[in-house]
Amino acid sequence: MRIERRLRQPRWLIVAVPAGSLVFAFFAAGLVLYATGHNALSSYRQIVDAAFLNSGAIGQTLTQATPLAFTGLAAAAAFRMRLFNIGAEGQLFMGAITADAAGLYLGGHGWPTALVIFAMVIAGCAGGAAWALIPGALRAFFKTNEIITSLMLNYVAAYVLTYLVFNTESYWRQTKGFNASVFPTSKTLPNDALWPSAMIHARGGIALPLGAGIAVLVAFLLWFLFTRTRFGFEAQVLGDSPRAAQYAGMRTRRKILAVMGISGAVAGLGGASQVGDFAHMLDADPNGLQKQYYGYTGIVVAALARYNPLAVVVVAFLIGALQNAGNTLQGADFPSGLVGVMQGIILFSALGGELLVRYRVRVGRTMPATEAA
Amino acid sequence: MNNSLLVVVLASGVAYGTPLLYGALGELLAERSGVLNLGVEGMMLVGAVMGFWTVQRLHADTALSLAAAVGVAALAGMAMAAIHAFLVITLRASQIVSGLALTIFAGAAGLSSYLGNDLNLADNPARHAFNAAVFPSSMQGWPIVGPIIFGQNVLVYASWVCVVGVSLYLSRTRLGLNVRAVGEAPASADAMGINVTAYRYAHTLAGGAFAGVAGATFTLAITPQWVSGITGGAGWIAIALVIFAFWRPALCLVGAYFFGALQALSPQLQARGINLGPTELWANSLPYVMTVVVLVFVSASGARRRLGAPASLGLPYVREER
Amino acid sequence: MTVQSEKDRRGADGAPPPPAVEMRGIVKRFPGVLANDRVDFEAAAGEVHALLGENGAGKSTLSNILTGLYRPDAGEIFIDGEPVQFHSPRDALDARIFMVHQHFRLVEPFTVAENVVLGDHRGEGRTFRLRHRAIEQRVAELSKRYGLAVDPRARVWQLSLGEQQRVEILKALYREARILILDEPTAVLTPQEADVLFETLREMAAEGRTVVFISHKLHEVKAVADRVTVLRGGRSVATVSAADATLRSLASLMVGRELDSGQPARARTPGEPVLELTDVWSDADRGDSAVRGASLVVRGGEIVAVAGVAGNGQRELAETVAGMRRATRGKILVCGKAIRAGDPRSAIAAGVAYVPEDRLGTGVAPSLSIASNLALKGYRERSSSHGPLLRIGRIREHAVELIQRYSIAAPGPGAPARLLSGGNLQKVVLAREFSGKPRLLIAASPTRGLDVGAIETVHAYLREAAADGVGVLLISEDLDEILLLADRVAVMYEGAIVGETSREEADVEEIGLLMAGGQDPRAD
Repeated sequence: MRIERRLRQPRWLIVAVPAGSLVFAFFAAGLVLYATGHNALSSYRQIVDAAFLNSGAIGQTLTQATPLAFTGLAAAAAFRMRLFNIGAEGQLFMGAITADAAGLYLGGHGWPTALVIFAMVIAGCAGGAAWALIPGALRAFFKTNEIITSLMLNYVAAYVLTYLVFNTESYWRQTKGFNASVFPTSKTLPNDALWPSAMIHARGGIALPLGAGIAVLVAFLLWFLFTRTRFGFEAQVLGDSPRAAQYAGMRTRRKILAVMGISGAVAGLGGASQVGDFAHMLDADPNGLQKQYYGYTGIVVAALARYNPLAVVVVAFLIGALQNAGNTLQGADFPSGLVGVMQGIILFSALGGELLVRYRVRVGRTMPATEAA
Repeated sequence: MNNSLLVVVLASGVAYGTPLLYGALGELLAERSGVLNLGVEGMMLVGAVMGFWTVQRLHADTALSLAAAVGVAALAGMAMAAIHAFLVITLRASQIVSGLALTIFAGAAGLSSYLGNDLNLADNPARHAFNAAVFPSSMQGWPIVGPIIFGQNVLVYASWVCVVGVSLYLSRTRLGLNVRAVGEAPASADAMGINVTAYRYAHTLAGGAFAGVAGATFTLAITPQWVSGITGGAGWIAIALVIFAFWRPALCLVGAYFFGALQALSPQLQARGINLGPTELWANSLPYVMTVVVLVFVSASGARRRLGAPASLGLPYVREER
Repeated sequence: MTVQSEKDRRGADGAPPPPAVEMRGIVKRFPGVLANDRVDFEAAAGEVHALLGENGAGKSTLSNILTGLYRPDAGEIFIDGEPVQFHSPRDALDARIFMVHQHFRLVEPFTVAENVVLGDHRGEGRTFRLRHRAIEQRVAELSKRYGLAVDPRARVWQLSLGEQQRVEILKALYREARILILDEPTAVLTPQEADVLFETLREMAAEGRTVVFISHKLHEVKAVADRVTVLRGGRSVATVSAADATLRSLASLMVGRELDSGQPARARTPGEPVLELTDVWSDADRGDSAVRGASLVVRGGEIVAVAGVAGNGQRELAETVAGMRRATRGKILVCGKAIRAGDPRSAIAAGVAYVPEDRLGTGVAPSLSIASNLALKGYRERSSSHGPLLRIGRIREHAVELIQRYSIAAPGPGAPARLLSGGNLQKVVLAREFSGKPRLLIAASPTRGLDVGAIETVHAYLREAAADGVGVLLISEDLDEILLLADRVAVMYEGAIVGETSREEADVEEIGLLMAGGQDPRAD
């Protein structure tokens, strides 16, 4: 067997490989289920029911898909430039913290909801961007590997989040009420800081959260930015060959900072949407936001979408469906952890499938090098 | 004296640092051969769950079950590493994404949790665990060195042997020379008849085995029970530790105990009623912040190569390409 | 050391011995290229056998097959008449075949001794434990015996390229290689050093080894080889005795047609200085200074070549002028105006065009389209963008126009640049750089790795640029090319310009001495 570089990459492969990866992943996860004594088919039926068919299922799926779209877009924006920002998790936490602060501060004073929401969006972007700019600046000025630094900051962000909810002097901490004295929790947003959702009257009503709409808008903006602007052109060159970018006189430092900032801002926006759309408070429950791993799963989403912002939205919906099924279902046919296993396998097969896009595998026709002399 | 803050923190620092040390040694071996494996956390968790499963289900005396458990954990870690090795060495996938995928696949929301729940491992403490009774209690009572050096369990002492072993292996043996050549200049190693693929596979798998043992250290020694996500990010610290240690085994040991001590500091301060402001926040975050600081130092000093980063780390090696 | 006794070679019945190496009908395909097309090759023990061919003729592929790095798609290999099959480089090494690659296969952070023993499983490296002392001693012995002076304890990255080549040859001697292949070994040497190398090679052949000498330089082949096998377009076209061949006959075999020996450029009248360097210093990648006080003037309309052995700071000098490397000291004036140190954009704005040595990776972004690469520097201008927005249609039109004007063989403007051949890639770079209307053109090894046709095209473009009044700074390690093109030759040694001469007065011998810092290695 021999592996040769493809001179031309057929277009259909670029779609066929991720699709094939999904199919393969279901097959392989089925084997895992079968090997551990579960009925794979009934598990899959439950997934489809819980993700799409049951009453309210699509709404639940959107709840999961929205943050994944944001973190997926954050990862896609950075990975496209080969800036491996795996800190979307922490940037999302930071965005949630700042957006929550903005909502708490501005809400409840009779200001128009739109203004409060706008402020929350800006605050979320700023929080996420600021957090991402730490590894970004270190990379730009000291050439420090952003993979490890952005990842380390995820843990720091998680501790900051926990601290802000638990500390008695924290602005975010709820101090009034009976529950607050039993278990520390954060303040709930005032009503005029809550994000609205659009109702679609089908399948028992699907609530389309504002965040989902923003995510789609952001996806289009990113797509435009990367394909139609000078900034995108420079980012593309820098991602492909930093030497060539330097050679062409591009300001590489600024570009690194800008891309990390955008990536962090998008992740932070995901945090704002978490607070405004869904949680309505800062969630420090170790089994809540921090157990969802939106930041890391976003990387799965981005990789499957081959870092194309428009495709991220679609993939986020599918992975969100899987995530939703995992949260809803627990039981004999659906052991916890299955979702991670499946996401892992999907990603493995997509990665392996990349080989088919870039290379041609040939079963070698090597002629015998010797004959009887 | 042995109850003084410093001694207690150092003694538990050694205990908490041991899984970091195992994980870092494994990652060091893989990276020295040129393979970056970001899946340490996942491999650790699978090692943790499989090691724990072995002591719960194997009906044998303590020593035998524990030995078997460590062996199973190592094999489990290796199996996980094999996925990464196949993807990045044979299929030339991106090492970064593949490592992340491995952590997602095997990690706290993936296979380790699946296995732990499916095998009903939660809720019961370990039937056997590594305890600290290796040296007579009189020795453990010696001032300072007693708790820190003689009050540890077998896994700690075994890790010291591993540090010496890995260190000698890399610097003094022919195989070690070959590994370093493969990590530095695979094309040169290949031209000199060294099988780059085989070396990379072997060391990635060895890295997985170490990570598996690191995981078992949690479930069999530190907190002898199983809960989902028990390693709590130790795998990531282990990766950072390799850079922190400039790819040198002996420095891994120092770094691991330093980070271990930081982890031990916060509960000790609380227990003694010492309040240094948001202690929990900074003591918990400190290992991560320190790692970032050290990374900046390492990269800014412009001496990355002299400090030991293998030159071909993260790059696939393909011979027949034009 | 006698590798084989005379009796062994004669065979029992007194029949002529089988050739030491014989390759028959070797075929090797790469995607889109037939690198070797039924190549036949044989070399006897005790001879220096040259493998002559232009770039891309299949010389390196053939030798990589002989050393087990590549597996042939078809064909047979015989060593001393015995059929062999190499599954890996190790098999070839065990058959005592050793190759000195053009890009040395050394591990830079290792010591010389460690490099020599690497992969050895028969001598000092056989034991599990490394015995550094014993290995170093053995290496010192060998280097003394063959006059290949290197310190066995030195780290490879501290050595000059010439010394690194000696390490490679020591590796071969340590393994008692019977068949030694050297791929373009003189590229890193001064003419005098090359003479010394030739002597060593002849000595090694006299011991009964087979030396295969790969080159595209006719006079070298003629000087060192007993026999010459010529490859052209992946095929072996002839094997001739070097003594009987003339430079002209070898050239026509190599190229397949008569070669016009490059008409000397018509006299040009240099204009105002476009580049003035005064005591310029800049750092190497690894700390130390690479350029150490270089001073030079290039005038509009002239071609100034910088000659020197690779690694004497020429690459760094080019990068410093182009703004890609920060000048730590000294003055760089382009058309009388200082450019900001370490800022390529300032250099580009001042009219500096740069054809970098590393085409794929620096000169172009490999995965991006040809159109994008043609717009790599011009995208900021009015013609290609509208404020922050790109004018994609215009960029594409411009690309189509340039592809046509420079006759770039490409599937289309949208195809990724890495699919292009070296020559077409260089045309993309030249087309882009010329379309920026430069005042100064820096060309660093602009013809490396190109075939004869492409080399002629590149030379023609450089001459045309000079005729248009552009100052051309040519950096090359190929003295033939320099003497063909340059109006003036400056020699660089250890980071400084150590001598300058006009083409009329240029003397190869003298330039060679300057390249070696004034020392003649043949002296002792």
